[in-house]
Amino acid sequence: MLVSLEAKLINRKYLDSVKELVKPHTPQYCYQCAKCTSACTASKVIPEYKPHLIVALTRMGLIKQLLDSGIIWACTECWKCGEYCPQNVAPVEVIIALKNLAVASGYRPPEDLIAMARNVIELGRISPPIEVLSKEFEIYSRESLNLPPLVRPYAHESMRKTLKDLLGGL
Amino acid sequence: MVKVLLYLGCTIPTKQYAYEISARNVLPRLGVELVEFPEAGCCGFPLKGINKNAWIYMSARILSLASMRNLPILALCNGCDTSLRKIKTLLNEDESLRKYMAKLLANEGIELHTDVEVYHVVDLLHDVVGVNKIKELVKKPLTGIKIASYPGCHLLRPSDIPRPEDSVDPRKFDNLLSALGASVGYYPDKGGCCGATMLPYSAKYALRVVAGKIKNIKEFNFDAVSTSCPYCMEMLDAKQDAARSEVGDESISIPVFYLTQLIGLAIGLSPKELGLSLNLSPVEGVLEKLGVSLSG
Amino acid sequence: MGEVRIGVYICHCGKNIGGVINPSRVAEFASKLPNVVVARDYMYMCSSPGQMLIEEDIKRHNLNRVIVAACSPRMHEPTFQGVLKKAGLNPWLLEMVNIREHVTWVHEDVPDKAEEKAKELVYAAVMRAQHLYEITIHRLPVVKSALVIGGGIAGIRAALDLANAGIKVYLVEKKQSIGGKMAQLDKTFPTLDCSKCILTPLMVDVARHPNITIYAYSEVVDVSGSAGDFKVKVRLKPTYVDWSKCTGCGYCTERCPARAPREFDEGLGTRKAIYFDFPQAVPRRPVIDPKYCLWFTKGICRACEKLCPVGAIDFNQKDRYIELNVGAIIVATGYELYDMTKLREYGYGKYKNVITGLQLERLSDADGPTKGKIVRLSDGKEPETVAIVLCAGSRDEKHVRYCCRFGCAAAIKHIYYVKHSVPEAKVFVLYTDIRAFGKGYEEFYQRLRGMDDVYFIRGRPAEIFEAKDGSLIFDVFDSNTGQLLSIKADLVVLESAVVPPKDWESLRRMLKISCDPGGFALELHPKLRPFETTADGIFLAGAIQGPKDIPDTVAHAAAAAAAAIGFLSKGEVESTPYLAVVNEDLCSGCGLCASVCPFDAIEIKEEGGRRIAKVNVIRCKGCGACAATCPSGAMQQNYFTDTQIVSEVSALAGGAK
Ligand SMILES: Cc1cc2nc3c(=O)[nH]c(=O)nc-3n(C[C@H](O)[C@H](O)[C@H](O)COP(=O)(O)OP(=O)(O)OC[C@H]3O[C@@H](n4cnc5c(N)ncnc54)[C@H](O)[C@@H]3O)c2cc1C
Ligand code: SF4
Ligand code: SF4
Repeated sequence: MLVSLEAKLINRKYLDSVKELVKPHTPQYCYQCAKCTSACTASKVIPEYKPHLIVALTRMGLIKQLLDSGIIWACTECWKCGEYCPQNVAPVEVIIALKNLAVASGYRPPEDLIAMARNVIELGRISPPIEVLSKEFEIYSRESLNLPPLVRPYAHESMRKTLKDLLGGL
Repeated sequence: MVKVLLYLGCTIPTKQYAYEISARNVLPRLGVELVEFPEAGCCGFPLKGINKNAWIYMSARILSLASMRNLPILALCNGCDTSLRKIKTLLNEDESLRKYMAKLLANEGIELHTDVEVYHVVDLLHDVVGVNKIKELVKKPLTGIKIASYPGCHLLRPSDIPRPEDSVDPRKFDNLLSALGASVGYYPDKGGCCGATMLPYSAKYALRVVAGKIKNIKEFNFDAVSTSCPYCMEMLDAKQDAARSEVGDESISIPVFYLTQLIGLAIGLSPKELGLSLNLSPVEGVLEKLGVSLSG
Repeated sequence: MGEVRIGVYICHCGKNIGGVINPSRVAEFASKLPNVVVARDYMYMCSSPGQMLIEEDIKRHNLNRVIVAACSPRMHEPTFQGVLKKAGLNPWLLEMVNIREHVTWVHEDVPDKAEEKAKELVYAAVMRAQHLYEITIHRLPVVKSALVIGGGIAGIRAALDLANAGIKVYLVEKKQSIGGKMAQLDKTFPTLDCSKCILTPLMVDVARHPNITIYAYSEVVDVSGSAGDFKVKVRLKPTYVDWSKCTGCGYCTERCPARAPREFDEGLGTRKAIYFDFPQAVPRRPVIDPKYCLWFTKGICRACEKLCPVGAIDFNQKDRYIELNVGAIIVATGYELYDMTKLREYGYGKYKNVITGLQLERLSDADGPTKGKIVRLSDGKEPETVAIVLCAGSRDEKHVRYCCRFGCAAAIKHIYYVKHSVPEAKVFVLYTDIRAFGKGYEEFYQRLRGMDDVYFIRGRPAEIFEAKDGSLIFDVFDSNTGQLLSIKADLVVLESAVVPPKDWESLRRMLKISCDPGGFALELHPKLRPFETTADGIFLAGAIQGPKDIPDTVAHAAAAAAAAIGFLSKGEVESTPYLAVVNEDLCSGCGLCASVCPFDAIEIKEEGGRRIAKVNVIRCKGCGACAATCPSGAMQQNYFTDTQIVSEVSALAGGAK
């Protein structure tokens, strides 16, 4: 069935905001050589993950369908696509921009990522220090390993405020 | 003697304790004076997907705090290294971004500065301490052990900013291992990715990435793997068993060490001083070859 | 010239001007302006009666300035200059005012204001005309000979065309033999004819032509003079063989014990220390490579000397220099492959079985290192699978931005080489777009893609790795099938990007011609004048203007030769009327003018104990950059002097009287 491009929701607002976010990289320059996908770590394990397709959908303005799918969160940020793209599109930068756009438009990132972000806000690090198990099932902690205790980051209160503003209502 | 701020980031001080222990014990013996930097928190790397500016802000903060101390930063983690160098470049190139960040930081009494040197363990040891100095200190050479260096993505890429290693043909890590007496060598995709960042999206796929990596390395007859990134360690070492079950391939098994742990062994430190009992991969064989035991 | 006597002529141009404003009123206005002796209007000034009218006025009223207010000078300036000439006046005493395009066509709806503007423009012209002076055109005879730099197919074709037109040609080639890249090719697309079979007869024609002198193993080291009269200094590099004695028998090369990598085989095969580039070399005169010769490196051997039947070996030869005097220069220095070690992710130079397309040409050639067999370089085995990678370094912001224009067709040809040498081999062609635009190319593409075990994969590998057995492994996403493919290949062929030769930049500076962003020679106009340069008398042939396949190269070279023949047969060159002229009393010799001149027409010379700017009247194109830059006003441009322009502008600023 043929579906008109308009019907597929070309979203100019999304497109413009991605273009702005990825400057100086220009998704429009992509000529679909798929070198990025040949390089991509995620593509090797997730068949439906294709950075060149993400760029193609983006430059067509078909961004909503991309955000709906949630696939952008599979990127390992290995930066291989950015390294090898002959047109300096740097798909990884496009993907980061899409993630930012998704969050700003109310899409929910993976739960673990939200948890990390909350910890950064509250503790200054992605996690509190945890207890770890050795192969022999002994439990170790910073204290038991004689490592100095962790302190809150410098000016934590104001940092918290700034971060909350930037990260929005997670 | 070179004096640096020991910047631990997030993963190392909250989970990957072996890296912190081994770094704290090994680096001073190589002539690196470690200055505590406890007020520095996360570099922001994990936040960039949510909001790129949050990332920039967090790294700008670390750079500024370090320049208040007037000392170079030593990042142990690849992610931190990339963040700090990338944000330093971005802020130096983009005047309006710089102004924006300066304003955010001014609110909390921090003056934005980016003129601070950033090192990673690999380039600090290779370029500043020097391979020869390390060679001189070796007491128990790792002779006869073939070790695959695993630099990890963010030691190499993006390469349009200054990096500790050559992005396509990383050599420094191998040079350091050779200095310890180990044998090193080529294997395909040495600059490959461990898949850690994929974990929040899907553990299953991330484990497949790990499995692929280890298979690749084993095919080239290596006895062990060495990395200098807590994420790579977490994936290759801690998640090794899970990766093996995920793909159902019994051959996926290899000892994994931090670079600092191997240096420590070679200069004669004890497994305890290197946190070796925290490694979850089968390191015993290699240790035995070196005549040390975990319990001892 | 004594008293200024101006005639002003206002043209109606039918209704074009006369239908909007009243030309007689403008003439009436003009007649009262300073030094205007006569002012008239007429229906068609450019018609013969119109021209006659001016001519007679000049004679009757002893006019020495003429102003014609009519259409654009682009249209009729030459016409009216002709009138002045006929009446015995210097044509540059004419001034045209464009009251059609600039006035009546654009202000048709406000005729009153239009007429006002016409008057103002005429007034300004009259004020400017007070300061017009006679301009002399310099003429120089043209030396009827040409220099062709570079002896590839472009240089060969250009040299032959020039020589056949009766022009003396000097062909300078830096290598031992002419022939260029075409000599290194095994076959040529799209017809697959043997490259040397169609090339070497032309090389022989060059060698035999009475009008052509070849200077091989030579290079241009200095160029001076200007169009029509270039002085060119050529360095004849020492060959250590007296070519005037040598008969080309080749005995010397047979016994030479020293081995060196053979450049002609792109480093794959070996040659002797005394060598010809290839068996059909022209000139067939060997050279000794002192980097490898045992006499030069160890002080032993001299076998060649003993074997040479005519005593031509001369170990004491030094650089020799000759001076050539030519009217025109054709630049045909071709291209080089982009250094594939820079495309690091593909491992060229690191993995033995990754080669360039040109190396594959050498493997396929019967005169090549494997006598025409295509093999894996790591172990000499026949490849079971070959991967051909297109756009290696081309169309890439990190390497070369432009398209190499022959990689696609070469890749298609290379499928044929592989299938011809190893019929059961599998060939993977990794492409982004196939640009088979030339005549017969699409048909050629169709033929090859119809072959068995040839797979066209639309995708580009990102990283190539070496497997334990020396074969190459890589992943490539194929957008035709939508699959990520893992490929293991015995041989990877890179169709490399193309760049200007390494030493081109210094030659380009000597010739004073511009380059495009890729570094290739810049043509005068990309569409209309693709084989001329901004420097008169210097023409471009072949790939040095930008990558070209052989058909395009030959067409380009023939066009360059035709243009050079036209230029040389005019017999003389003329200076521009708008020459830069120096008031030597005012000149301080600061040299700013010379630094801004895009044509390198100004030289600062010592004269009478001080420095003075001197303009080369043939080089100067009258762009005016120097005059605008000169801080002391010493440099003026003919027809646009400061006084002329200032009086015109201040007249306009003050409004019509
Ligand atoms: C792998 C490969 C396969 C190809 N196959 C085909 C094909 O099948 N069909 C086809 O139509 N085209 C083919 N081409 C393209 C073909 O090579 C070019 O079209 C052709 O060589 C251009 O000729 P040219 O004379 O302009 O340059 P060149 O062949 O490069 O000749 C330039 C000459 O100038 C000399 N020179 C350079 N600098 C100087 C200097 N400073 N002083 C003196 N001499 C100098 C060089 O030594 C050389 O002899 C192929 C190209 C490649 C790389
Ligand atoms: S590598 Fe670059 S140009 Fe090629 S498909 Fe990916 S984004 Fe587009
Ligand atoms: S950065 Fe993301 S999209 Fe790019 S190659 Fe790595 S995993 Fe794939």
